Amino acid sequence: MAVQAQRQASAAPARPRPKRSREEEVLVWPDLVFVEFISAVLFTITFTILSVFINAPLLNRANLNVTPNPSKAPWYFGNLQELLLHMDKAWGGVLLPTIFLGFLAAIPFIDRSRHMQGVWFGTKYSARITIITVIYATVVIFGLVSFDAGEATGTERLTRWIPACAESAEDVSWPCLRDDVGAEHLGIVSTKDISKRLEFEVLGVKWPEDLDHIAWPFNDSIGDFDLGGIGLGSIHGWGGEHFNIPSIMAEQVIPLTLTIVVFPGLIIYTLFRIGWVRTRRDVLIVMFTGAVMAFVTLTLVAAFFRGQGQDLIWPWKIKVDEG
Amino acid sequence: MSVTEEPGKPRNLRERLNVLQDRIYDRLFHNYVWQSIFRSGYPNTPRNQMLVVATNVFLHLHPTRIHRTHVKITHTYCLGGLTFFMFLVLTITGVLLMFYYVPSVDRAYQDIAALETNVKFGLLMRNLHRWTAHAMVILVFLHMMRVFYTGAYKPPREFNWVVGVVLLVLTLVLSFTGYLLPWDQLALWAVTVGHGIGGSAPYLGDETQIVVFGGFEIGQPALIRFYTLHVIALPLLAAIMMAVHFWRIRRDGGMARPL
Repeated sequence: MAVQAQRQASAAPARPRPKRSREEEVLVWPDLVFVEFISAVLFTITFTILSVFINAPLLNRANLNVTPNPSKAPWYFGNLQELLLHMDKAWGGVLLPTIFLGFLAAIPFIDRSRHMQGVWFGTKYSARITIITVIYATVVIFGLVSFDAGEATGTERLTRWIPACAESAEDVSWPCLRDDVGAEHLGIVSTKDISKRLEFEVLGVKWPEDLDHIAWPFNDSIGDFDLGGIGLGSIHGWGGEHFNIPSIMAEQVIPLTLTIVVFPGLIIYTLFRIGWVRTRRDVLIVMFTGAVMAFVTLTLVAAFFRGQGQDLIWPWKIKVDEG
Repeated sequence: MSVTEEPGKPRNLRERLNVLQDRIYDRLFHNYVWQSIFRSGYPNTPRNQMLVVATNVFLHLHPTRIHRTHVKITHTYCLGGLTFFMFLVLTITGVLLMFYYVPSVDRAYQDIAALETNVKFGLLMRNLHRWTAHAMVILVFLHMMRVFYTGAYKPPREFNWVVGVVLLVLTLVLSFTGYLLPWDQLALWAVTVGHGIGGSAPYLGDETQIVVFGGFEIGQPALIRFYTLHVIALPLLAAIMMAVHFWRIRRDGGMARPL
């Protein structure tokens, strides 16, 4: 009992609370209750007026045989739909959002200082680094989205200097981009081109054709177990499955490294060297702001810049084909 | 003026009116029934004001006294409170919508169409439900940003931030499950996109589609699942988490303030 009490005393340090004098206090009734009441009334009036004038959408009855083009997720999931266009589905739709939520939940356990809580932008440069990160993240995300729609935005011009591959598939020692037969030569149109159109040869290994069918380790020894019998149809062994290294590079490694490591690392390191990022709190401000702005920017792109076939297009040019 | 004073004889019209006014006030607020509901009159002394906050079931979420800075609008912009208020409005309008809605693929769309045209204030209720739902998603997001940028997640409020993240997810899922219910093209294909995203879960894609959406296509199983989640399971869970969230604000010493 005593040991336990001692352990508790050492494990949970006394949590100091800010002191306040009676002069600094106000009574909840009326000072706070009235503010709450008035804001509730204002919102009720605003939303009632809004609802009188703007009707909620109701299209035709649902019909599985008629697919509207584009079909869009609700706006707050538009960002996920957008991510799916740029990377492996499992990463864009499930894993990356899970990591994002995990990061959010972990914030207070990373930044444990009690310093400057309860004031807006508590550290010296936090307002400044927030604004910089907002601009940076917006530019980076818009840039990456346009890079991945090279033909629509013209960013393929940046990589047009990579030569076209020769007609005969033999000579690929130098990196080259394979064009459709008879088509005009294009640079890298989307990241998927890295696994499809880009060809080169290092030490006698040809990219991508020699690397897109690598057996899993233990491919044969683990074999073909299948949990379909107990209702878990998609869990099964590795028998007969293979790595497609170029596609893993283009759809997982490159997009994830850029978005989770390279771009956040770059801005945090730069701001650290300038001396504006000093504490964990500052690092978290950059990461949180960057992640939120990525979320917001992707949502905007999905909502306003995606036309038929999810092509990147100006908002005023979007035409919805009702199917 | 005290109502218990012995009134003298009224001398002119003004005094007669005053007497009448007092009588009406007495009848209204000093009768047996009223006083059984509200035990004291309007709280006009600090003691009564604290008592009313501490003893009223709806107000006792609050402490009786708070720090001066916390009633400044720019400190919180009321974002958390407004999110909760949106939840209340959504509950009320949602219950009204449930009176007219049957979650069946054969009826759902007609029910919504009939609600808009045949039911008095039906369209208004649906509009209110829709716009406050969007507002709740935006407000909960802004509330999270407010809490982050004011450093209000710092010790001892770490766990309440985690509860907040859970509530953010619940809000999104509540909104998403409601999206399917009108059973129009917008609903079906938006949820189909979500269905595809769920199906892309590594190793558990098929299972996710079967458990959450009731199959490999959006149909009656998905509609009834989404309806049940939307009207009972998720609101109940959200209400419980909100209770924890609000309780912990009090337990952790009210809103954050520099040490």
